[in-house]
Amino acid sequence: MRTRVAVGCVLLAAAWAGLLFAPVFGVGPLVVPIIAVVAVVYAVFELCARVPVLVPWRPVVALAAGLLAVVETVLWDTTAAGVPTAATVRALSAGLAESWQLTLQSTWPARDDPELLLFVPLAVLAAAVLGVEALRRPLLAVLPSLAVVALSQAYQAADGVAATVSALAYAVVVATLLGVTSGSWSARRSLVVVPTFVFALAGALLAGVLDPLDREPYRLQADRGVVPPVRTVSPLAELAGRLIDPDEPVFTYTATHPVDRWRTAVYDRFDGGTWTASPDYRRMGAELDPRVDGPVVERSADVEVPEPEGELPSQPLPVAVSGVAPLVDEDSGMLLVPGADRALAYRLTWREPAVDATALLAAAVDADAADRIPEQGPVPAGAAEWAREAVGDLRPTFQTALALEEYFREGFRLARGADLPTGSAWRHLEEFRRVKRGTSEQFAAAYVVLARALGIPARLVVGYRGAAEAGTVTVRNGDVLAWPEVAVEGVGWVPLDPTRSARTTAGGPGLAAAAERAREVLPPASELPEPQLEPTPVAEAEEPGGAFPVLPVVLALGALLLLALLAMPVAAAVRRWRRRRMGVPGAWLEARDLIRACGVPTTPGMTVRDLARTAPDQSLVDALHELAAIVDEALWSGRPGEHTARAWAVVRRIRRGLPAPARMRAALRP
Amino acid sequence: MTDAAEVYRLISANVQAVVRGKPRVVRLAIAALLAEGHLLVEDVPGLGKTTLARCLARSVGGEYRRIQFTPDLLPGDITGVQVYHQGAERFEFHPGGVFANVVLADEINRGTPKTQSALLEVMAERTVTVDSVRHDVPRPFLVIATQNPIEMEGTYRLPEAQLDRFLMRLSVGYPDLETEVLVIMSDCAGVGPDELSPVVHPDALRAAVAQVRATHVEPAVCEYAARLAAATREHHALRYGASPRGSIALVRAAQAVAATHGRGYVTPDDIKEVAEPVLAHRLVLTPDAELNQRAPADIVAEVLAATPAPTSPAR
Repeated sequence: MRTRVAVGCVLLAAAWAGLLFAPVFGVGPLVVPIIAVVAVVYAVFELCARVPVLVPWRPVVALAAGLLAVVETVLWDTTAAGVPTAATVRALSAGLAESWQLTLQSTWPARDDPELLLFVPLAVLAAAVLGVEALRRPLLAVLPSLAVVALSQAYQAADGVAATVSALAYAVVVATLLGVTSGSWSARRSLVVVPTFVFALAGALLAGVLDPLDREPYRLQADRGVVPPVRTVSPLAELAGRLIDPDEPVFTYTATHPVDRWRTAVYDRFDGGTWTASPDYRRMGAELDPRVDGPVVERSADVEVPEPEGELPSQPLPVAVSGVAPLVDEDSGMLLVPGADRALAYRLTWREPAVDATALLAAAVDADAADRIPEQGPVPAGAAEWAREAVGDLRPTFQTALALEEYFREGFRLARGADLPTGSAWRHLEEFRRVKRGTSEQFAAAYVVLARALGIPARLVVGYRGAAEAGTVTVRNGDVLAWPEVAVEGVGWVPLDPTRSARTTAGGPGLAAAAERAREVLPPASELPEPQLEPTPVAEAEEPGGAFPVLPVVLALGALLLLALLAMPVAAAVRRWRRRRMGVPGAWLEARDLIRACGVPTTPGMTVRDLARTAPDQSLVDALHELAAIVDEALWSGRPGEHTARAWAVVRRIRRGLPAPARMRAALRP
Repeated sequence: MTDAAEVYRLISANVQAVVRGKPRVVRLAIAALLAEGHLLVEDVPGLGKTTLARCLARSVGGEYRRIQFTPDLLPGDITGVQVYHQGAERFEFHPGGVFANVVLADEINRGTPKTQSALLEVMAERTVTVDSVRHDVPRPFLVIATQNPIEMEGTYRLPEAQLDRFLMRLSVGYPDLETEVLVIMSDCAGVGPDELSPVVHPDALRAAVAQVRATHVEPAVCEYAARLAAATREHHALRYGASPRGSIALVRAAQAVAATHGRGYVTPDDIKEVAEPVLAHRLVLTPDAELNQRAPADIVAEVLAATPAPTSPAR
């Protein structure tokens, strides 16, 4: 029975370690494969217990059965009615080699696709099989599941209450395992290991409570991304070409609400000649959780792209995509399906923040946004002068951004027809300034360059106009549009429309509609008030990364020290209590430890009489000889009797006979 | 008088009248007799090994024979021979030197291997087979052998199989000054083994042996003995460790030692007390260990220190 409980504990530890991948995949997709794996391993253990001839083959049988369980629960689609096929083997080997890596490249929670999920039940299977085989050494049996715990925490470290509860549950399982196997394990070692577990947990709990920094938990994912193949022609470069053939359908969408714009590419780097994007593409997981301050409206639309070219029509704050498994850049909302060679249909769900126009109008720009864009490139010479001509010396605010937009709206014409200017390099923009005519490409590019010259973080977006009404809409080449976005503090990237081309309705949700409403109340540029900026709180100015929290750390260390000091006598008392329950053998062990506290070296082979020969004092020698006689009579004579009280009386006499420092050491030794 | 402790007390007092200052050696030697095991006393010349053997032999009543091993000693001298009796017109068996209760095989390593091997059967099975006819030796049957470990010329080292037949191998060791003075004074006073009288009748010794065999041994103590033997098999300095016969001998010797202490049960201390004399001569060192002049007794001490002594009767 004890072995069964021990096996159960090892399997539970492995299963729990696997479930710690919940922040990566969610709990739901993990439960079935993990339970199937541990159940099969336990079944194999029971089978081997009944059929002894199988015992030498137990790890092989358990591995094979566990793999079958993984196949049936995760790779069912590759089987022929449950029978593994060559496709199953291929999927299994691909999963072994790549699933851990693909998961790191995905946003989290990741999709429960087999090619991503597979490594978790396989790790649990390995931990379960190794743990059961190493059960003769309980601490060794814990190591495989501990390795899976470490792996899960490397992917996404748990924090706060979740971390404490997870660690506590794991420790309880391990403690139960050590408890039921203590027969094959020295009590002395358990006296060291169990308090270590308890104090480590208490320390973790304390550190979790006292840690005031509220940092993001560690995740390995942050350093990994997908580098997709580079497209030869960017959507920005082909914008003018699309306008030449305006009736060619590009994609169709169906929505129950108006959608004013669809984006396909976002450019944030400009070196004076070329606009380039710097997306951090990841595999789109099950769901994204874009951070938005304030209320949001969730929208969705069904999109069909008959001839996909890589980038998919998207929205700034995508939440979920079903029907395809694209790459996503969370910062810009760009979706990409590299190498798609057939029509794609998907359902996109996104969020639109509901922003008050007045608050938007009063907002400052988000100065930190510029820092998040790597290598923006230098502001071309002449841009500052053009910017001053456009809006004067206004400070960088959202009002200034609108004023700049108004400058383009009023002073420039949108080029239509066949003779369309192309290019968005600085020399093209200077020509645009001269002739005051261009496509949305020049409008948006010039706007972004001037905005940056004014200190307003801006980026260029390429996409398509939507429709002002709901229903099924076919978007054509003529709807292609480039527009600028500016980063507003506390709001995000707000799309602007210097060409007045977008079909934005002021009444709807979303940032474009809020900007439209703000435009309606914007005073002329000459009357723009200086923004009321809040004074910078000097006291709170901190160096990047925050100051080292000296007081909490000192408090935590002090509390840990106090706990440790209290724990030693408590552990010693628990040890004595347990030994009293052991009777005469316990008295002998206690006497041995007391003599050891005098600095007398002991070996495992020592008997009470050997100890008496090494005792430093004659009274101790006499007491030990008396204890030896009691031990001999109680343990080896084969005649049961009540000797416990006499034995412990001798132990008390030995304790009293010890020098004071040795008594102290004996009392404090855990 | 059938109490094993009393038998021990009588023999011990008798022997120690001659063998002075060696109570532990005497105790172990008597324990070997009580366990009905054979005893090999090994030491350099002049330390009293023959005296000890003779004292033990003289203390026990019954028939005592001494065989002085020399290179020209023949197996038949030990086991006995068939002699043709002309009057009866048939072969008659003339028993050899081993047909006695106590046999002193003095300087056993001076006998040829062939002669030494004649002792194998009788020591193990207490029977002698001559011309396919088995002859039982009288019980109790005890062989006390002596040998000199330093003289190699004209000697034949005892084979391992022969050594394994001895329950214990004892060394007498040099006496301290005070004891040596006592020994000289005893010699001057004419006190020698020949002056001793038997103090225990063979029947009493037989009863004591039976009582020793019935001494209680907890399973955990047996397991301790087995663990010690197993530890010698795994020791890096040993080519061969103790055999199961060694662990059996360990427990039997411990039973006898327990009886000499007046106890009816065996403790781990008894096992430890007899471990070195019972196990050391059964160990075969590796060539490296021999080159490093490691002694089997030291290895037994290492094994005793490293093997956990039992702390509970439950296995």
